[in-house]
Amino acid sequence: MAVRRKLIKERVPTPERPAEERIHDFKEVNLGYTFELAVKEAERCLQCPANYAPCIKGCPVHINIPGFIGKLVEYRDDPDKAVKEALKVIWACNSLPATTGRVCPQEDQCEMNCVMGKVGDKINIGKLERFVADYAREKGIDEELLFEMVPKIEKKGQKVAIIGAGPAGLTAAGELAKLGYDVTIYEALHEPGGVLMYGIPEFRLPKSIVESEIDKLRKLGVKILTDHIVGKTVTIEELLEEYDAVFIGSGAGTPRLINAPGINLNGIYTANEFLTRVNLMKAYLFPEYDTPVKVGKKVIVIGAGNTAMDAARSARRFGAEVIIAYRRGEEDVSARIEEVEHAKEEGIKFEYFINPVEFIGDENGNVKAVKFEKMKPLDERDKRGKRKIVGTGEYVTIEADTVIIAIGKHPNRLIINTPGLKVERGRIVVDENMMTSIPGVFAGGDAIRGEATVILAMGDGRRAAKAIHEYLTKKREGKENA
Amino acid sequence: MYRILEKKELAPKHIMYRIEAPHVARKVQPGQFVIVRAFPNGERIPLTPVMWDREEGWIVLITFVRGKTTMRMANELKPGDSILNVAGPLGNPAPIEKFGRVLAVGLSAGIVEVFPIAKALQKAGNDVTTLHVAPAPMAILKDEFTESVSRHIFEGFEIQEGWGTKEIVAEIAKRGAEKVKELLSEEDFDFVLTVGPAGAQKAVFNVVKEFGIPMHADLHPIMVDGTGMCGACRVMVGGEVKFACIDGPGFDAYKVDWDELIHRVGFYTDLERRALEEYLKSLRGE
Ligand SMILES: Cc1cc2nc3c(=O)[nH]c(=O)nc-3n(C[C@H](O)[C@H](O)[C@H](O)COP(=O)(O)OP(=O)(O)OC[C@H]3O[C@@H](n4cnc5c(N)ncnc54)[C@H](O)[C@@H]3O)c2cc1C
Ligand SMILES: Cc1cc2nc3c(=O)[nH]c(=O)nc-3n(C[C@H](O)[C@H](O)[C@H](O)COP(=O)(O)OP(=O)(O)OC[C@H]3O[C@@H](n4cnc5c(N)ncnc54)[C@H](O)[C@@H]3O)c2cc1C
Ligand code: SF4
Ligand code: SF4
Ligand code: FES
Repeated sequence: MAVRRKLIKERVPTPERPAEERIHDFKEVNLGYTFELAVKEAERCLQCPANYAPCIKGCPVHINIPGFIGKLVEYRDDPDKAVKEALKVIWACNSLPATTGRVCPQEDQCEMNCVMGKVGDKINIGKLERFVADYAREKGIDEELLFEMVPKIEKKGQKVAIIGAGPAGLTAAGELAKLGYDVTIYEALHEPGGVLMYGIPEFRLPKSIVESEIDKLRKLGVKILTDHIVGKTVTIEELLEEYDAVFIGSGAGTPRLINAPGINLNGIYTANEFLTRVNLMKAYLFPEYDTPVKVGKKVIVIGAGNTAMDAARSARRFGAEVIIAYRRGEEDVSARIEEVEHAKEEGIKFEYFINPVEFIGDENGNVKAVKFEKMKPLDERDKRGKRKIVGTGEYVTIEADTVIIAIGKHPNRLIINTPGLKVERGRIVVDENMMTSIPGVFAGGDAIRGEATVILAMGDGRRAAKAIHEYLTKKREGKENA
Repeated sequence: MYRILEKKELAPKHIMYRIEAPHVARKVQPGQFVIVRAFPNGERIPLTPVMWDREEGWIVLITFVRGKTTMRMANELKPGDSILNVAGPLGNPAPIEKFGRVLAVGLSAGIVEVFPIAKALQKAGNDVTTLHVAPAPMAILKDEFTESVSRHIFEGFEIQEGWGTKEIVAEIAKRGAEKVKELLSEEDFDFVLTVGPAGAQKAVFNVVKEFGIPMHADLHPIMVDGTGMCGACRVMVGGEVKFACIDGPGFDAYKVDWDELIHRVGFYTDLERRALEEYLKSLRGE
């Protein structure tokens, strides 16, 4: 039984670097809890019973949240033990907590219905999860735990190919490796990690964290072949000759463009290109790093999701004045609340209800302004519950020397052209076992969902791994009985 | 990691690397390219496999030294070293069909990319003439072409005192257009193919257009990933936005918005120059 204790209404804050300091570099913004602060926050949790706790229901992978938070309090006198026990609980459902703790939209998931919200601040579940993962990594507790698990792995003698090293593929690979399968990841880029590596900036998710996750996978025996583009270097058909099953986690990497005159003017980037140059290729360190990027004095970012915030905040760090232009209103901004707040603190301006209709260039083919139509909201709502918007016939032109388009992405084209692979509206279709129309080929993450989230992609990877395990177990037994 | 089996200077500034890359060698077709990252802090640059051996698992890349990356490769890589990344093959194969008489034009360093395509076209039963336009003496791959196609023509010129890259490229465009005009006036061709700087390709296209002969152009926009993810390589073709890395790199020359392409490839010129200058400074120990 939990001990009755006094309600502490306010969240224990996590230290953050001040905006005026952080806009000059790409180092992490939020510094996270120390053990003492984490325990203080953990103590606020009411320890709702697991079968009832609304936080667990809100988490897409159903982490036993009171379970892991409770361990921090229970073993408060032995931090290493507390973290190890908490990590065990988290790992049962989520193998990338350092990442999800940082990037999950907690306000719409685990923290949304936290009962503490009725009397005060909700529990800071994301930051606690992050703390456990960070502490464990720094102290080598995660590796220790991994090695306790490794000797128990019983080799199955079957091979699985994973396409794409994003959260979906990495999770599927890890789970399958732990089950004893021989796993090889095929990744198109030179670094594994998917969006975690090329999209989400260093100041929000340090790349060393992603690298450490990938390191652990390698220690589990997962092989990673970078520079291999499935559909070009090797086809799915060929993979099926060599492997017993295939998982597609190729994401939604094709940027959506705006069908307006002037879209190919110089200075107009897709968010993918801009963020890839900045994050993956480290253009913020040019010319020490060879890849250039051009950020002007006035930057307009079009869109209002996480990608738009990341692009805007990255551009800000090059010293630009940045405007986020969104065709809807503030209520429909889809980015995580924390990112929107950080963006505002960093001096980024938001312009609502404007929709780009033309990009205006100078005589050298460089963008110099964007013409927008002013929009207005209607009372009527669309299928997703957002207010419909219509054009007003009024226009406004805003000067800009750099424009970043962040209005969404489609699944990667090279994969979806595979013969026999059923695809609807660009998304790979899977059955309830995550299997595609090609037997033995499974899929998950953004490749089946369009743009979603890290935790949903991981959840898919985990479910697919389970389904692949069942499929391969049958295959094995079929062979043994034959 | 991909081992360099052989490295050779074929002509001034033209460096050949034979590289162990079995995953590319197994699959590559004429017209496709790879993305190479040679150094930990290096750029990803597109290069073209010029020759390959599927069984032995190697490809040949030939770079024209023009900026920091190609110069660093020339200076720093030795046989036995490894290249960090060779991704591919990427892009679509060139159309290898029976056209009849083909004129394949390599403007400046573009000639190396013409080689695998011209060879395959000749093999497919075409009568192929290859034309190389470049400052003399730059008889790169001359023997290889002579062996593989019906006729190889080298159109060279002397670099005048005081000329920089700009003047040389302009001269390549001028000479290319003139020579192509001469050839098309005197002989019948059914198909023209070009690879080279966008400005020079446009000049050649303007001539070919007068004769109404079908023309295929391999385009070289700036690329980053080469897999359709970033959109850096977008080009306007037939009024639609295309990604050269997955929709091309070859397109119907009649549909390409040449002026836009010329603008786009020049977008980073100032930063490229700065990168090169700082690199040269570091070489001088400054
Ligand atoms: C800038 C940005 C910010 C975001 N912020 C958040 C956030 O804060 N919180 C959140 O939850 N979500 C966020 N998201 C969304 C989240 O990142 C994605 O939903 C998630 O990464 C999807 O995972 P995935 O594994 O399906 O695909 P990806 O992460 O896209 O990984 C796919 C991988 O497959 C590789 N690949 C593609 N095609 C091939 C091929 N043919 N052969 C081999 N490899 C291939 C790609 O190179 C890539 O590495 C953000 C997305 C972006 C772009
Ligand atoms: C499909 C394709 C195939 C190519 N094949 C070859 C080849 O076989 N041999 C060869 O020598 N060159 C080839 N190129 C051009 C080659 O990529 C550039 O020479 C190289 O990127 C120059 O890098 P740099 O740092 O030395 O020069 P920089 O100083 O960076 O640039 C010099 C010029 O090269 C071009 N360029 C620069 N960066 C890129 C990039 N990331 N992508 C495309 N172009 C760029 C620009 O037009 C630029 O003005 C090819 C390009 C493409 C698109
Ligand atoms: S995985 Fe995401 S949603 Fe689940 S508990 Fe962690 S932060 Fe919350
Ligand atoms: S709902 Fe809130 S208070 Fe209840 S267990 Fe979950 S985090 Fe703790
Ligand atoms: S190079 Fe990135 S989409 Fe073509």
